[in-house]
Amino acid sequence: MTATEAEAETDSAVVGEDVYADGTLVRDPEIEESLSQDEYDPKGTLALLLVYFLILGLMWTYMYFVEFLGNGPTVVG
Amino acid sequence: MSTPGETAGETVESAREMLPDNSFLIQYPHVSRVVRSLFLTAFVAFGIGAFMGVLQALHRTGIARIVASSDYYTLLTLHGVLLVIVFTIFFLAGVFTWANTRSLDRPPVSKRFTWFWVVTMSVGSAMAGIAILAGLIPSIGMSADVLFTFYAPLQAHPLFYIGLAVFIIGTWLAGIDWFRQYLAWRGENTGERIPLQSFMVLTTMLMWFIATMGVAVEVVVFLIPWSLGIVPAPNPLLTRTLFWFFGHPVVYFWLMPAYLLWYTVLPKIAGGRLFSDPLARVVFVLFLLLSTPVGIHHQYVDPGIAEGFKFIAMTNTMFLLLPSLLTAFTVVASIEHGARQRGGTGYFGWLKALPWRDPAFTGMTLAGLMFAAGGFSGMINAGMNINYLVHNTIWVPGHFHLTVGTAVALTFMAASYWLVPRITGRELYSRPIGLFQVVLWFVGMVFMSAAMHRGGLAGIPRRTAEPQYPQVTFETVAGSVGSLRLQLAFGGVLLFVSALLFLVNVGLTAMNNEPARGLDSALPPALSGPEQSPTVLDNLKLWALIAVVLVILAYSLPLYSIVQGAGLYPPGQEATPAVLAPLLEVIA
Repeated sequence: MTATEAEAETDSAVVGEDVYADGTLVRDPEIEESLSQDEYDPKGTLALLLVYFLILGLMWTYMYFVEFLGNGPTVVG
Repeated sequence: MSTPGETAGETVESAREMLPDNSFLIQYPHVSRVVRSLFLTAFVAFGIGAFMGVLQALHRTGIARIVASSDYYTLLTLHGVLLVIVFTIFFLAGVFTWANTRSLDRPPVSKRFTWFWVVTMSVGSAMAGIAILAGLIPSIGMSADVLFTFYAPLQAHPLFYIGLAVFIIGTWLAGIDWFRQYLAWRGENTGERIPLQSFMVLTTMLMWFIATMGVAVEVVVFLIPWSLGIVPAPNPLLTRTLFWFFGHPVVYFWLMPAYLLWYTVLPKIAGGRLFSDPLARVVFVLFLLLSTPVGIHHQYVDPGIAEGFKFIAMTNTMFLLLPSLLTAFTVVASIEHGARQRGGTGYFGWLKALPWRDPAFTGMTLAGLMFAAGGFSGMINAGMNINYLVHNTIWVPGHFHLTVGTAVALTFMAASYWLVPRITGRELYSRPIGLFQVVLWFVGMVFMSAAMHRGGLAGIPRRTAEPQYPQVTFETVAGSVGSLRLQLAFGGVLLFVSALLFLVNVGLTAMNNEPARGLDSALPPALSGPEQSPTVLDNLKLWALIAVVLVILAYSLPLYSIVQGAGLYPPGQEATPAVLAPLLEVIA
C-alpha cells in the first residue's frame, strides 16, 4: 500500500499511480483527462437524481390514487 | 488453468512470488487468511440459504411442494437466519478486517484474539443452525421455527438462543479487535484524521454495540431462561420491542459494508475518485445517530404502544432518508467523475464511458439502482398511515429483497469479484460468468420483487406456506394473482441459478492457479479530502454519546409504558411449542 487516505494528497496527479481493478489495465492510458475538484461539475448526477425524484413522485401518486383513495378508509371506527 | 507437472502447492507458491510487493496478500498474509475463512463461512451460508429461498418460492406459489407445509417455517427460519445473520455478518467481518487493516496500514494487534472471535462467531452460528435444522427431524425433539424475527410467544430450543448470544458476543469481540487496531494506529499518528475506511468500520461498530443491547437483553434476560423453563413466558410486546430495538439497526449493519464498498472501492473501479470524503463521514455519523431510535416503526400495528411514540419513530425514520440521499449523490457523482475522466460527455452520455464489462462495477451499480427502488417501498413502509395497506403482506419481503437481498447481497457478490483475488492472490476464474451472474441476479430480482410488491398491494400475506384460500379472492391492480405467482417463482429460480453461478465462479477462483494481476490496494484520494471537513467529525466519543441519548429519548418511555401495562411476565402466556415441558415433567 502506498499511502493511507489520511496521508494522501488530494492533488489530481496522484491518480496516475493507480491501477484498474480488473487487473489487466493500467489506469493512465484510459484516462483522457484528469479532472480536479474545481474542474469537475457533476451535472450528470443532477440529471439522474432529477429523473429519480420524478419517478418517486409518480409512484407516490400511484399509491395515493390507486391504493389509498381506491380502497376507502383503512382504519374504521 | 494449472501448469501440468507441478503440484498445486508449488504452483501457488510460484504464483505468489509473481504478486507485487504492495499487494494486500503479500503485505498481510495472516489477515488475508482470516478474511478467506470469514468469506468461506459466509458463502456456505449463502448457498444453503439461497436453496431454502427457491424452495419457498416454489412452495408458496403452489408450483412444487417438496416439503410438508408445516416444515415451510423451518426452511423460512433457516433462509432468514443463514442469509441475514450468517452470510451478511460474516462477509461484513471479512470486509471490515480487510478495510481496517488496509486503511490503517497495520494488522490487528493479536492474531490469537482475532481467531478467537472468528471461532466464537462460527460456533454460535453452528449452534443456531443445528437447532433450526433439527426441526426437520421430529424424533430429535428440538426445533427453532421462530423465523429470523425471534420473539415470544413463539419459542425455540435453548440451543438456538444460546447460539445467537454466542454469535453476538463474537461480533462484539470483532469490534473490540478493530478498535484495538485503531488505537494502536492512533498511538503512532497523533493528530491525524482517521483514514476513511477505518472511520466507517468504527462508526458502524459503535452503532452495532448500541443496537445489540436490545437483543442481548431480550435473549439473555428473557428468552434463554424462558426456554430453559426457569421463568414463565415473558411479555410478548416487550420482547417484540426489544427485538426491533435491534431489528432495524441490523439492516444498516448489513448495509454499511456495502456503503463502504460503494464509497471507497466503486469510484476506483469506475476510474474516478470519491467526490467528497467529508460527506461520506457525515453519512456514517448520521447512521450511527439515527439507526437505533427508529425500531418502533416495525410495530405500527402493535396495540400497547401509544401512537405518539410511533409518530416519533416515524419522524426519526424519515430523517434516515437524508444519509441515503446523500449517498445517492456522492456515489453517483464519484462514478460520474470516473466516466468524465475516461472521456464521457453530456448529461447522460457519460454513462456509456463506464466499465460495464467489469462484473464488480456492474454488480455494485445495479445493486445501487435496486436500492433506489427499495427506497421508495421503504418510504411506504415507514409512513404510519400508508403502512397499514401493506403491513404483514408480501410487499414487505418484496421491499427487503431489494435492500438486503440486492443492495447488500449483490454488492457483496460483485465486490467478491474484486476482493477475492486480493485475498487469495488468484485470478478471477471467469469475468464473463461473473458479469452474466450479476445481471441475472438483477433480472431475477426484478421479477420476484415486483411480483411480491404487487401481491402485497392485493393483500397476499407474508410468512405463509399456502396463501391460497377458497373463501378469499385477492384483487390485483393489474394482471392476475396466477401471473404474479409465476413471476415470483420464475424470479426465485433465476436468483437461485445466479447464486449457484456465483458460488461456482468464486470456488473455481479459489482453486485457480493463475496468479492475480493488478492487485494494488491503494485507493485514489477523495476529490474533497478530510482536511476540508471539521475535525469534530472524527470525535467518535461525542457521536456515540449523542446516539445513546437519542436511544434513551426514543425508548425509555415506551419500554416503561409496556412494562407498566402488562408486566414482565403477564399471566396466561403459553409457549409455542413447549419444547422442554415433557423433559421437565420427567425430571420432576
